[in-house]
Amino acid sequence: MATEKRKTENTTTGAKDELAQAAARPAAQAAQRASASEGDGGRLTLENVSARYGAFRAVKDVTLAVRPKSVTALIGPSGCGKSTLIRTINRMHETLPGATVSGSIALDGVDLYSSDVDPVRARRVVGMVFQKPNPFPTMSISENVSSGLRLTGGASKSDIAGIVEDSLRRAALWDEVKDKLNQPGTSLSGGQQQRLCIARTIAVKPRVVLMDEPCSALDPVATLKIEELIRDLAAEYTIVIVTHNMQQASRVSDETAFFSMDDDRAGYLVETGPTAEMFTNPKQALTEGYIQGRFG
Amino acid sequence: MRGVDMAGLELRRTGGLSADSFFRRITGTGLIILVVALAGLVVAFVGYSNPLWTIQSPIDFLTSSTWSAGTINENGEIVDALYGALGAIFGTVATSLIAVLFAAPIGILAAIFLVEFAPPRLAAPLTFIVELIAAIPSVVFGLWAAGDLSNRLRDTIEWWIASSFGRFIPFLSEDPESPAADSVFRAGFLLAIMILPMVVAVSREFIRSVPISLREGYIGMGATKWEVIRDVILPTARIGLIGGVLLALGRAIGETIAVTMVIGNAEGVPSSLFQPGQTVASKIASNIGEASGPIAIGAMAALGLSLFLLTTVISLIVRVLVRRFAVAGGRS
Amino acid sequence: MRVLVGVAAFLAILPLIALILFVLLKAVPFLAPSFFFNNPLDQEPGILNAIVGSLQLSGLTVLISGPIGIAGGVYLSEFASPRVVAIGETAIDVMLGVPSIVAGVFAYLILVPVLGFSGWAAVAALSILTLPIMMRSTQEVLRLVPQAIREASLALGVPVWKTALFVSVRTALPGILTGVILAFSRALGETAPLLMTARGTNAENWLDFSTTMNAMPIVIYQYSNAASDLLIGQAWATALILMVIALTINVLVRGRTVNSRTA
Repeated sequence: MATEKRKTENTTTGAKDELAQAAARPAAQAAQRASASEGDGGRLTLENVSARYGAFRAVKDVTLAVRPKSVTALIGPSGCGKSTLIRTINRMHETLPGATVSGSIALDGVDLYSSDVDPVRARRVVGMVFQKPNPFPTMSISENVSSGLRLTGGASKSDIAGIVEDSLRRAALWDEVKDKLNQPGTSLSGGQQQRLCIARTIAVKPRVVLMDEPCSALDPVATLKIEELIRDLAAEYTIVIVTHNMQQASRVSDETAFFSMDDDRAGYLVETGPTAEMFTNPKQALTEGYIQGRFG
Repeated sequence: MRGVDMAGLELRRTGGLSADSFFRRITGTGLIILVVALAGLVVAFVGYSNPLWTIQSPIDFLTSSTWSAGTINENGEIVDALYGALGAIFGTVATSLIAVLFAAPIGILAAIFLVEFAPPRLAAPLTFIVELIAAIPSVVFGLWAAGDLSNRLRDTIEWWIASSFGRFIPFLSEDPESPAADSVFRAGFLLAIMILPMVVAVSREFIRSVPISLREGYIGMGATKWEVIRDVILPTARIGLIGGVLLALGRAIGETIAVTMVIGNAEGVPSSLFQPGQTVASKIASNIGEASGPIAIGAMAALGLSLFLLTTVISLIVRVLVRRFAVAGGRS
Repeated sequence: MRVLVGVAAFLAILPLIALILFVLLKAVPFLAPSFFFNNPLDQEPGILNAIVGSLQLSGLTVLISGPIGIAGGVYLSEFASPRVVAIGETAIDVMLGVPSIVAGVFAYLILVPVLGFSGWAAVAALSILTLPIMMRSTQEVLRLVPQAIREASLALGVPVWKTALFVSVRTALPGILTGVILAFSRALGETAPLLMTARGTNAENWLDFSTTMNAMPIVIYQYSNAASDLLIGQAWATALILMVIALTINVLVRGRTVNSRTA
């Protein structure tokens, strides 16, 4: 995919056009993917999800539908609960003392919060990539990738090498590390480490991959590589990405969800829709204001 | 492969005791063992010292300087036994205070040097060397003090203080013809050397933790380095520094072997700091071999209980202090 | 000002130098092979049983209190709720403050009547002293493990206990081992508890913890007041050995971090 040079013009209409152009691309790809098989699932349905830290409600009544094998971007100003929200999807939020979740989150029809469900197992089907790359410092590159498999018993020893290579290929990292698989995971550059974390996440074959500002700690070149990777990964996985970078959202996502904060400092979902539409013709004034850069 | 087919089967909880819970219990047992040991200490000392209180009150224990096992009368009972630990308590207080008197200022100043003045390449090795002192066993300190330091102190500092102040303050007097072979002062001085690394280490930590922004703000107003230390660093780190000194004090109170080897094991309250004496710890070490029978043993247990209580109170105070320091935003 | 604090720092180091030099001076004449390899009752007496005894006592102490201390430290760092952590840390603080003689008296009161003057009683007393040390050092080292990698592990669907063991502990392992070695070094130097439990002996003792055992600190203490010059000299020599061992362990184990430490 060619990356076009962007002209940064300061007029609002100029910016709008650019965003619209950038937004149109993933939509076209999404249309392609939608026509492919949806059989393996990855459909997320959030209903009235609220997340609390003790008494403080950080996320209020979010209802959101995420289509399988698509990229959904969560955008909005700081503090609107976007990171908190995605941590409810893989049941990480509740690992903090005093943190609770209400509402339901269904993955392919199965409520992840039902009392039947083991949160640990839920996290194997919903993966997460963090803001700052966090490879395991005592493990080599290949050990990092296989760590999820080895620690959860997800594959037999003989399969592991194959899965490691496959995951590294899918994460667009194989060629760069194939000769140094035994070197420490931390010996890679920032962008490479993040791709390593992505490889590690997809090695356990999740259906959904959550990404919490995965590029904010990376330089622009590394960022672009990862954005390309995200578009490729969407063929296999449902991706939900939190980003502060609107241009990134428009480059990368099929659907966009815009969040804001109410008077009680609780984050809520303002509007959601196909990315192209959101950036050219948002329905809410608040959304338009954020996109135009008038606040946030 | 997992994760591909769902229908809730892969997500179901496994019944029964989970590995998480099992592991949690196993590791938690470690903590429980420690707490039980602590409780055991308390119970043992309180229990074993109980017989002593049948023949005397705790007040007598704390205020009398007579330590006598008494005699056995014609009925086989023990009479005239009085276990007064005042001499030992005095010794503990005196040696610890002397130790802190020397170690606190020198330690804090040395810490200031290490953090604020020492060239960066020198600071780490120097700090390391100071902390090495803490690794030397107390018995080695005791031996050295008995063999060398003790005499040096007698001939220099003790002599100087005694000749300068001994006439006015009997407490600091010394017979120039026959200075004692062991003394309370020397034990205190030795303790000062032994606890110095602790004061330095803790002070250093707290001085270092004063936020750079505070220092820079003051320097920006034109303050000299000394003024920064006096007006910003010391007040901010003050609570921690006090905590460090208290910790060192606790250590000095509990130190046994080194003190025993230089203090001379003399009963009662000494007439001068430059005379031999004893501390609670050294008394236990010296007398426990001979103690027999529940009352004599009870006296030993009572001594141990006093030490235990004293050091526990100090530990708790330090903990509260350090907590307050952290809350006050001293620590980054 | 600079002079004042410089002098203070110098004074802080001076005793170490004076001590090392003096002990060296007094000890060297008595460092013969017979000193190391003979027992006190041999024709040319030595302190072999003390060296062996020290290693045995400290070794067993660490073997017993190590796993317990590490387990407790792992629990406090990885599993315990904040309130339990506060209680646990307070208990550790109190235990850390317990003087060694108190531990010795405890063993004397409770265990010696049952087990006699023995290595077991000595190990119990030493364990009371080393257990909180190891629990605290384990907890501190685990605290340094970044929360980010625990999250990474949990996000992969790894259960908490495996995360604790294969991620947290695995990352902190060098530091935990350092704590164990330092506890060993500490146990080697303890005197007071040994005097009232293992008591010291002139006989050989190989792994018989049920009776009295000799140890280097005991030798130093007992020989220091001896009548013969030879024994006094051997007290100094033993002090040198003990000091060298303690300093060497500390330098080896903590010296590596001197350069990476931020001054």
